[in-house]
Amino acid sequence: MSDHDHKPAPMVDEVSDFEILEMAVRELAIEKGLFSAEDHRVWTEYVHTLGPLPAARMVAKAWLDPEYKKLCDTDGVEASKAVGVNWVTSPPTQFGTPSDYCNLRVLVDTPTVKHVVVCTLCSCYPRPILGQSPEWYRTPNYRRRLVRWPRQVLAEFGLQLPSDVEIRVGDSNQKTRYFVMPVRPEGTEGWNEDQLTEIVTRDCLIGVAVPKPGVTSNAKRPVIKAIHPVHHGH
Amino acid sequence: MSTSSNETSIQGSEHGVDITPIPLLQDIQAHGRVWTDLATQYGVTNPDPPWKITLEATCDLLAGDSCVKPYDQVAPGSCALPSLERRAEEDELSATIYEDVPFPERQLLALAHSMIKRGLVNEDELAHRMKEVEQRLNSA
Repeated sequence: MSDHDHKPAPMVDEVSDFEILEMAVRELAIEKGLFSAEDHRVWTEYVHTLGPLPAARMVAKAWLDPEYKKLCDTDGVEASKAVGVNWVTSPPTQFGTPSDYCNLRVLVDTPTVKHVVVCTLCSCYPRPILGQSPEWYRTPNYRRRLVRWPRQVLAEFGLQLPSDVEIRVGDSNQKTRYFVMPVRPEGTEGWNEDQLTEIVTRDCLIGVAVPKPGVTSNAKRPVIKAIHPVHHGH
Repeated sequence: MSTSSNETSIQGSEHGVDITPIPLLQDIQAHGRVWTDLATQYGVTNPDPPWKITLEATCDLLAGDSCVKPYDQVAPGSCALPSLERRAEEDELSATIYEDVPFPERQLLALAHSMIKRGLVNEDELAHRMKEVEQRLNSA
Protein backbone atom coordinates (compact mmCIF):
# COMPACT_ATOMS: atom_id res chain seq x y z
CA MET A 1 0.00 0.00 0.00
CA SER A 2 1.37 3.36 -0.89
CA ASP A 3 0.71 6.72 0.62
CA HIS A 4 -0.66 9.06 -2.04
CA ASP A 5 -1.73 11.75 0.36
CA HIS A 6 1.63 13.42 0.74
CA LYS A 7 2.38 16.49 -1.33
CA PRO A 8 5.47 16.28 -3.50
CA ALA A 9 8.19 18.79 -2.74
CA PRO A 10 7.96 21.81 -5.02
CA MET A 11 10.27 21.79 -8.01
CA VAL A 12 11.24 24.26 -10.66
CA ASP A 13 9.16 23.32 -13.67
CA GLU A 14 11.10 25.35 -16.16
CA VAL A 15 14.39 24.96 -18.01
CA SER A 16 16.56 28.05 -17.72
CA ASP A 17 19.11 29.30 -20.24
CA PHE A 18 21.79 28.77 -17.61
CA GLU A 19 20.86 25.12 -17.21
CA ILE A 20 21.03 24.73 -20.97
CA LEU A 21 24.38 26.53 -21.13
CA GLU A 22 25.88 24.29 -18.45
CA MET A 23 24.82 21.19 -20.34
CA ALA A 24 25.95 22.50 -23.72
CA VAL A 25 29.41 23.44 -22.41
CA ARG A 26 29.81 20.02 -20.83
CA GLU A 27 28.68 18.12 -23.91
CA LEU A 28 31.03 20.04 -26.19
CA ALA A 29 33.94 19.56 -23.81
CA ILE A 30 33.30 15.81 -23.85
CA GLU A 31 32.99 15.70 -27.63
CA LYS A 32 36.25 17.57 -28.02
CA GLY A 33 37.99 15.11 -25.75
CA LEU A 34 38.76 17.57 -22.98
CA PHE A 35 37.48 14.95 -20.56
CA SER A 36 35.33 11.85 -20.81
CA ALA A 37 31.66 11.48 -19.97
CA GLU A 38 32.51 8.65 -17.59
CA ASP A 39 35.10 10.72 -15.72
CA HIS A 40 32.58 13.50 -15.39
CA ARG A 41 29.90 11.18 -14.08
CA VAL A 42 32.22 9.61 -11.53
CA TRP A 43 33.57 12.95 -10.36
CA THR A 44 30.09 14.48 -10.10
CA GLU A 45 28.89 11.59 -7.98
CA TYR A 46 31.89 12.07 -5.71
CA VAL A 47 31.35 15.82 -5.37
CA HIS A 48 27.69 15.17 -4.53
CA THR A 49 28.77 13.19 -1.47
CA LEU A 50 30.83 16.03 -0.01
CA GLY A 51 29.79 18.34 2.79
CA PRO A 52 30.97 19.72 6.13
CA LEU A 53 29.70 16.83 8.24
CA PRO A 54 32.98 14.83 8.39
CA ALA A 55 34.93 17.85 9.61
CA ALA A 56 32.22 18.68 12.13
CA ARG A 57 32.38 15.13 13.44
CA MET A 58 36.16 15.35 13.75
CA VAL A 59 35.74 18.39 15.96
CA ALA A 60 33.08 16.69 18.09
CA LYS A 61 35.25 13.60 18.49
CA ALA A 62 38.21 15.73 19.49
CA TRP A 63 36.17 17.59 22.08
CA LEU A 64 35.34 14.24 23.67
CA ASP A 65 38.71 12.54 23.25
CA PRO A 66 41.95 14.38 24.13
CA GLU A 67 44.09 11.76 22.37
CA TYR A 68 42.15 12.18 19.15
CA LYS A 69 42.44 15.94 19.52
CA LYS A 70 46.22 15.54 19.62
CA LEU A 71 46.09 13.47 16.46
CA CYS A 72 44.00 16.15 14.72
CA ASP A 73 46.54 18.74 15.75
CA THR A 74 49.55 16.80 14.52
CA ASP A 75 48.24 14.81 11.55
CA GLY A 76 44.97 16.00 10.03
CA VAL A 77 45.21 13.55 7.13
CA GLU A 78 45.47 10.57 9.49
CA ALA A 79 42.78 11.93 11.82
CA SER A 80 40.40 12.29 8.86
CA LYS A 81 40.28 8.52 8.47
CA ALA A 82 38.26 8.27 11.70
CA VAL A 83 35.39 10.06 9.96
CA GLY A 84 35.67 8.10 6.75
CA VAL A 85 37.77 10.51 4.71
CA ASN A 86 40.96 9.13 3.27
CA TRP A 87 42.72 11.98 1.46
CA VAL A 88 44.60 9.53 -0.72
CA THR A 89 41.92 7.05 -1.69
CA SER A 90 38.55 8.78 -1.21
CA PRO A 91 38.63 11.03 -4.30
CA PRO A 92 38.23 9.09 -7.56
CA THR A 93 41.59 10.14 -8.92
CA GLN A 94 42.34 7.12 -11.01
CA PHE A 95 41.36 8.97 -14.15
CA GLY A 96 43.80 11.79 -13.62
CA THR A 97 41.48 14.45 -12.32
CA PRO A 98 42.38 16.54 -9.29
CA SER A 99 43.67 14.29 -6.60
CA ASP A 100 42.63 16.82 -3.98
CA TYR A 101 45.33 15.14 -1.96
CA CYS A 102 46.91 17.73 0.18
CA ASN A 103 48.34 18.49 3.50
CA LEU A 104 45.31 19.00 5.75
CA ARG A 105 46.02 21.02 8.85
CA VAL A 106 43.52 21.34 11.65
CA LEU A 107 43.91 24.73 13.28
CA VAL A 108 43.08 24.20 16.94
CA ASP A 109 41.65 27.23 18.71
CA THR A 110 42.29 27.97 22.35
CA PRO A 111 40.62 30.50 24.62
CA THR A 112 43.29 33.00 23.60
CA VAL A 113 43.95 32.06 19.96
CA LYS A 114 41.27 32.14 17.23
CA HIS A 115 41.99 30.80 13.76
CA VAL A 116 40.25 31.65 10.51
CA VAL A 117 40.82 30.33 7.00
CA VAL A 118 41.14 32.02 3.64
CA CYS A 119 42.68 31.39 0.24
CA THR A 120 44.16 34.68 -0.86
CA LEU A 121 45.20 33.26 -4.23
CA CYS A 122 41.88 31.82 -5.46
CA SER A 123 39.49 29.70 -3.41
CA CYS A 124 41.35 26.57 -2.26
CA TYR A 125 39.19 24.77 0.28
CA PRO A 126 39.37 21.34 1.94
CA ARG A 127 36.53 20.00 -0.17
CA PRO A 128 36.91 16.27 0.62
CA ILE A 129 36.06 17.03 4.24
CA LEU A 130 34.13 20.32 4.03
CA GLY A 131 32.26 20.24 0.71
CA GLN A 132 31.84 23.26 -1.53
CA SER A 133 32.99 26.67 -0.41
CA PRO A 134 30.38 29.39 0.13
CA GLU A 135 30.16 32.28 -2.29
CA TRP A 136 31.62 34.87 0.07
CA TYR A 137 34.71 32.72 0.61
CA ARG A 138 35.48 33.02 -3.10
CA THR A 139 35.21 36.79 -3.30
CA PRO A 140 38.26 39.05 -3.67
CA ASN A 141 36.79 41.28 -0.99
CA TYR A 142 36.94 38.59 1.73
CA ARG A 143 40.27 37.26 0.49
CA ARG A 144 41.97 40.62 0.50
CA ARG A 145 40.57 42.08 3.65
CA LEU A 146 40.72 39.09 5.98
CA VAL A 147 44.50 38.99 5.95
CA ARG A 148 44.73 42.73 6.55
CA TRP A 149 41.98 43.31 9.07
CA PRO A 150 40.98 39.91 10.45
CA ARG A 151 39.47 41.26 13.66
CA GLN A 152 37.29 43.73 11.81
CA VAL A 153 36.22 41.22 9.17
CA LEU A 154 35.27 38.68 11.84
CA ALA A 155 33.25 41.38 13.56
CA GLU A 156 31.38 41.90 10.30
CA PHE A 157 30.46 38.22 10.47
CA GLY A 158 29.08 38.85 13.94
CA LEU A 159 32.10 37.45 15.74
CA GLN A 160 33.32 40.07 18.20
CA LEU A 161 36.53 38.90 19.84
CA PRO A 162 38.10 40.40 22.95
CA SER A 163 41.29 42.33 22.24
CA ASP A 164 43.38 39.82 24.18
CA VAL A 165 42.43 37.01 21.78
CA GLU A 166 45.06 36.60 19.11
CA ILE A 167 43.78 35.95 15.58
CA ARG A 168 45.74 33.72 13.22
CA VAL A 169 44.81 33.43 9.55
CA GLY A 170 45.46 30.18 7.68
CA ASP A 171 46.08 30.97 4.00
CA SER A 172 45.26 27.88 1.96
CA ASN A 173 47.08 26.88 -1.18
CA GLN A 174 47.14 24.02 -3.64
CA LYS A 175 48.80 21.64 -1.22
CA THR A 176 47.92 22.80 2.26
CA ARG A 177 44.33 23.28 3.31
CA TYR A 178 42.88 24.05 6.67
CA PHE A 179 39.86 23.90 8.83
CA VAL A 180 39.35 25.30 12.29
CA MET A 181 38.66 23.36 15.44
CA PRO A 182 36.85 25.84 17.66
CA VAL A 183 36.77 25.76 21.43
CA ARG A 184 33.95 23.65 22.82
CA PRO A 185 31.30 26.06 24.01
CA GLU A 186 29.79 26.24 27.45
CA GLY A 187 26.39 24.68 27.81
CA THR A 188 27.36 21.46 26.07
CA GLU A 189 28.39 19.49 29.14
CA GLY A 190 27.26 15.88 28.91
CA TRP A 191 26.47 16.10 25.19
CA ASN A 192 27.26 13.15 22.98
CA GLU A 193 29.15 13.18 19.68
CA ASP A 194 26.03 13.55 17.54
CA GLN A 195 24.76 16.48 19.56
CA LEU A 196 28.13 18.21 19.41
CA THR A 197 28.49 17.57 15.69
CA GLU A 198 25.24 19.42 15.01
CA ILE A 199 26.51 22.74 16.32
CA VAL A 200 29.81 22.68 14.41
CA THR A 201 28.63 24.49 11.31
CA ARG A 202 30.53 25.14 8.12
CA ASP A 203 31.14 28.73 9.22
CA CYS A 204 32.62 27.48 12.52
CA LEU A 205 34.96 25.25 10.53
CA ILE A 206 36.10 28.17 8.37
CA GLY A 207 36.51 30.19 11.54
CA VAL A 208 34.12 33.07 10.95
CA ALA A 209 31.73 31.81 13.63
CA VAL A 210 31.97 29.93 16.89
CA PRO A 211 29.65 27.10 17.90
CA LYS A 212 26.72 27.84 20.15
CA PRO A 213 24.14 25.49 21.63
CA GLY A 214 20.99 25.78 19.55
CA VAL A 215 22.71 27.15 16.44
CA THR A 216 22.96 24.47 13.77
CA SER A 217 22.95 26.43 10.52
CA ASN A 218 25.00 29.14 8.89
CA ALA A 219 23.82 32.72 8.92
CA LYS A 220 23.11 34.31 5.57
CA ARG A 221 26.14 36.39 4.69
CA PRO A 222 26.15 39.44 2.49
CA VAL A 223 28.56 39.31 -0.42
CA ILE A 224 30.62 42.48 -0.58
CA LYS A 225 32.23 43.59 -3.78
CA ALA A 226 35.85 44.58 -4.08
CA ILE A 227 36.49 48.20 -5.00
CA HIS A 228 39.80 47.81 -6.75
CA PRO A 229 40.37 45.94 -10.00
CA VAL A 230 41.24 42.29 -9.77
CA HIS A 231 44.94 41.72 -10.26
CA HIS A 232 46.40 38.30 -10.53
CA GLY A 233 50.04 37.70 -11.23
CA HIS A 234 50.58 34.06 -12.03
CA MET B 1 27.63 36.01 -34.87
CA SER B 2 31.19 36.84 -33.98
CA THR B 3 33.54 34.32 -32.48
CA SER B 4 36.32 34.75 -30.02
CA SER B 5 39.01 34.29 -32.62
CA ASN B 6 37.68 37.33 -34.44
CA GLU B 7 37.73 39.56 -31.42
CA THR B 8 40.60 41.97 -31.52
CA SER B 9 39.84 44.53 -28.87
CA ILE B 10 40.80 43.69 -25.33
CA GLN B 11 39.22 46.07 -22.90
CA GLY B 12 40.34 46.59 -19.36
CA SER B 13 42.32 43.43 -18.98
CA GLU B 14 45.85 43.47 -17.65
CA HIS B 15 46.26 39.73 -17.18
CA GLY B 16 45.38 38.14 -20.44
CA VAL B 17 41.66 37.54 -20.13
CA ASP B 18 39.80 39.25 -22.92
CA ILE B 19 36.75 40.83 -21.32
CA THR B 20 35.21 41.91 -24.61
CA PRO B 21 31.58 40.81 -24.29
CA ILE B 22 30.46 37.72 -26.17
CA PRO B 23 27.02 38.19 -27.77
CA LEU B 24 25.74 34.71 -26.95
CA LEU B 25 26.66 35.06 -23.30
CA GLN B 26 25.37 38.64 -23.20
CA ASP B 27 22.03 37.34 -24.39
CA ILE B 28 21.93 34.70 -21.65
CA GLN B 29 22.94 37.33 -19.12
CA ALA B 30 20.11 39.58 -20.27
CA HIS B 31 17.34 37.02 -20.63
CA GLY B 32 18.31 33.94 -18.62
CA ARG B 33 16.38 33.34 -15.42
CA VAL B 34 18.65 32.91 -12.43
CA TRP B 35 18.12 30.27 -9.77
CA THR B 36 17.16 32.68 -7.00
CA ASP B 37 14.23 33.94 -9.10
CA LEU B 38 13.16 30.46 -10.18
CA ALA B 39 13.42 29.08 -6.65
CA THR B 40 11.31 31.92 -5.30
CA GLN B 41 8.68 31.54 -8.00
CA TYR B 42 8.34 27.79 -7.56
CA GLY B 43 8.79 27.72 -3.79
CA VAL B 44 11.96 25.66 -3.88
CA THR B 45 14.23 25.94 -0.85
CA ASN B 46 17.42 24.48 -2.31
CA PRO B 47 19.84 27.44 -2.32
CA ASP B 48 21.76 26.15 -5.33
CA PRO B 49 20.61 25.18 -8.81
CA PRO B 50 20.86 21.46 -9.56
CA TRP B 51 23.52 22.10 -12.20
CA LYS B 52 25.96 23.68 -9.74
CA ILE B 53 27.66 20.40 -8.89
CA THR B 54 28.02 19.39 -12.54
CA LEU B 55 29.50 22.81 -13.26
CA GLU B 56 32.01 22.29 -10.46
CA ALA B 57 32.88 18.90 -11.90
CA THR B 58 33.39 20.40 -15.36
CA CYS B 59 35.74 23.02 -13.91
CA ASP B 60 37.62 20.32 -11.99
CA LEU B 61 38.02 18.06 -14.98
CA LEU B 62 39.20 20.88 -17.22
CA ALA B 63 41.77 21.70 -14.53
CA GLY B 64 43.24 18.20 -14.28
CA ASP B 65 45.74 18.14 -11.43
CA SER B 66 46.50 21.86 -11.67
CA CYS B 67 44.38 22.68 -8.63
CA VAL B 68 46.62 20.62 -6.37
CA LYS B 69 49.95 21.75 -7.80
CA PRO B 70 51.77 25.03 -7.36
CA TYR B 71 51.16 27.05 -10.49
CA ASP B 72 54.79 26.98 -11.58
CA GLN B 73 54.74 23.19 -11.51
CA VAL B 74 51.77 22.85 -13.85
CA ALA B 75 53.16 21.58 -17.14
CA PRO B 76 51.97 23.65 -20.10
CA GLY B 77 49.29 21.78 -21.98
CA SER B 78 48.80 19.25 -19.20
CA CYS B 79 45.20 20.33 -18.77
CA ALA B 80 42.63 22.26 -20.79
CA LEU B 81 42.14 25.11 -18.35
CA PRO B 82 44.41 25.48 -15.32
CA SER B 83 42.54 26.07 -12.09
CA LEU B 84 44.34 29.23 -11.07
CA GLU B 85 43.91 30.83 -14.49
CA ARG B 86 40.22 30.02 -14.58
CA ARG B 87 39.67 31.44 -11.11
CA ALA B 88 41.65 34.57 -11.91
CA GLU B 89 39.62 35.08 -15.05
CA GLU B 90 36.40 34.42 -13.15
CA ASP B 91 37.40 37.04 -10.59
CA GLU B 92 38.10 39.58 -13.29
CA LEU B 93 34.97 38.84 -15.30
CA SER B 94 32.88 38.87 -12.10
CA ALA B 95 34.15 42.33 -11.32
CA THR B 96 33.49 43.64 -14.82
CA ILE B 97 31.10 42.39 -17.47
CA TYR B 98 29.27 39.81 -15.33
CA GLU B 99 29.14 42.01 -12.27
CA ASP B 100 25.35 42.03 -12.11
CA VAL B 101 24.96 38.25 -12.40
CA PRO B 102 24.52 36.26 -9.16
CA PHE B 103 26.57 33.22 -8.20
CA PRO B 104 26.79 30.48 -9.48
CA GLU B 105 25.35 31.74 -12.78
CA ARG B 106 28.32 34.12 -12.85
CA GLN B 107 30.77 31.23 -12.49
CA LEU B 108 29.09 29.48 -15.41
CA LEU B 109 29.20 32.54 -17.67
CA ALA B 110 32.84 33.11 -16.75
CA LEU B 111 33.74 29.51 -17.55
CA ALA B 112 31.99 29.66 -20.93
CA HIS B 113 33.66 33.02 -21.59
CA SER B 114 37.12 31.67 -20.76
CA MET B 115 36.57 28.60 -22.92
CA ILE B 116 35.41 30.65 -25.90
CA LYS B 117 38.23 33.18 -25.61
CA ARG B 118 40.76 30.36 -25.41
CA GLY B 119 39.29 28.62 -28.42
CA LEU B 120 38.30 25.49 -26.48
CA VAL B 121 34.82 25.94 -27.91
CA ASN B 122 33.55 28.57 -30.29
CA GLU B 123 30.56 30.75 -29.90
CA ASP B 124 28.65 29.48 -32.92
CA GLU B 125 28.93 25.83 -32.00
CA LEU B 126 27.96 26.63 -28.43
CA ALA B 127 24.90 28.53 -29.64
CA HIS B 128 23.99 25.64 -31.91
CA ARG B 129 24.43 23.11 -29.14
CA MET B 130 22.33 25.18 -26.78
CA LYS B 131 19.46 25.10 -29.26
CA GLU B 132 19.76 21.33 -29.53
CA VAL B 133 19.83 20.91 -25.76
CA GLU B 134 16.85 23.21 -25.33
CA GLN B 135 14.80 21.27 -27.87
CA ARG B 136 15.75 18.03 -26.19
CA LEU B 137 14.91 19.19 -22.68
CA ASN B 138 11.60 20.69 -23.76
CA SER B 139 10.53 17.81 -25.95
CA ALA B 140 8.69 15.81 -23.31
